[in-house]
Amino acid sequence: MRGSPLVRAFIAFLAILALGWPLWRLTAVDEATKTAAPGATTEAPAAAAAPVREIKLQVTFTTPPKSFSIRHLGREVWSDKNGKTEAEKTLQLPYPKEGVELQFAADFPEVAPLAAARLVLTDPQGDDHEKSCWGTRRIEEVVAFP
Amino acid sequence: MRTLVCALLATLPLAAAEPIRVSSFSTVLTEIAQQVGGPRVAVTGHVKPGVDPHEFEPKPGDIKTVADAQLILLSAKHMEGYVGKLKEATGARGRLVEVGNEFSSLKMPDEKDPSRTVEDPHWWHSVANVEKAAKIVRDELIELSPADKELFTDNAAKYLARLETLQKWAKAKIAELPRDQRKLVTSHDAFQYFAHENGFTIYAIEGISSADQPSSKKVGDIIAAIRSQHVKAIFPESIENPKVLTEITRETGVKVAGNLYADGLGEGNASTYEGMYKHNVSTIVEALK
Repeated sequence: MRGSPLVRAFIAFLAILALGWPLWRLTAVDEATKTAAPGATTEAPAAAAAPVREIKLQVTFTTPPKSFSIRHLGREVWSDKNGKTEAEKTLQLPYPKEGVELQFAADFPEVAPLAAARLVLTDPQGDDHEKSCWGTRRIEEVVAFP
Repeated sequence: MRTLVCALLATLPLAAAEPIRVSSFSTVLTEIAQQVGGPRVAVTGHVKPGVDPHEFEPKPGDIKTVADAQLILLSAKHMEGYVGKLKEATGARGRLVEVGNEFSSLKMPDEKDPSRTVEDPHWWHSVANVEKAAKIVRDELIELSPADKELFTDNAAKYLARLETLQKWAKAKIAELPRDQRKLVTSHDAFQYFAHENGFTIYAIEGISSADQPSSKKVGDIIAAIRSQHVKAIFPESIENPKVLTEITRETGVKVAGNLYADGLGEGNASTYEGMYKHNVSTIVEALK
């Protein structure tokens, strides 16, 4: 091999540098993925909450109820004691792509026959989803939409 | 002669009062047989609460009891690899009922050979399946002792009513959890029926059997899923060694929630089906909320 030792050393240094970059990319440990020391933990991932969206709910009964209520994630979002056969409300709820489950409860007069309730949910895209529940004296059901 | 007839007649009520001998290889079926049969059955639970049914092997004493049993209840869906031994022991004397085979299975890719599917044998994590099992046991007992039809029917109706109440409670409890947070990371793949009934997605570290060992690729996939799906907690099981789970928590920072009862009934509050199911549901909902 010809040339000055200085030039040869410089060329070798460049070659090592060129190889070093992809090697470093392949072997470097990401901060988020590196294994912690025994007993240590990294920060738990924060769950991304579903965005709050506007939905519309309509309830229709075959028999006027004494009262009804709707709960979402354990919290009451709508209740009514007007005893009408139709009601509707616009709600602001977290609405993930998987949809929502609502806990629906309605009480009917003791003399009432078998009663039915129809729930229509209009989702943030404007699509209607319809579910029905049946019962005597009390309906208590978890209704999933869509 | 008259004395002999009298003596024979005197033994009849005693013979009728003899309890039906039942052998059960599932803690859940043991409870069902006891609840439906009441005082008219003597149930031997061969698989005790807290024992891993995947690892259980009957001992000579178990085989002897089975040989004398009138009704043998199995979980089925390939849970009992020793079913051949039991069939041999019981011959044509006892009725061997593979309860789990009476209703449909959920299937999933085999851990060892992903090109084929296997059945999930943990059918009792669906309350609807336990209701079906109670009806099967009721009908079998009626067939063995038609005189006790009323008792078995009443007892089964009471048990089914309790299951219905449990199902309502579970649905309401699970409704507290947003649907996009229903992601269940467990040690072995035992909760497909629960997931199917309640809208969960399962990420199991091991396969269907608790004896399956996860590959490093599988563990890597689970870690990636925990991160991308923002899973809040993972669930070890009452029987399992949580070594791999500990490794995953180190990598992701996800918390380890309370134990789940995957393979049947446990001790204390989980020694009944209602208690076990409520424990699992509460533990899951509280940890993922």
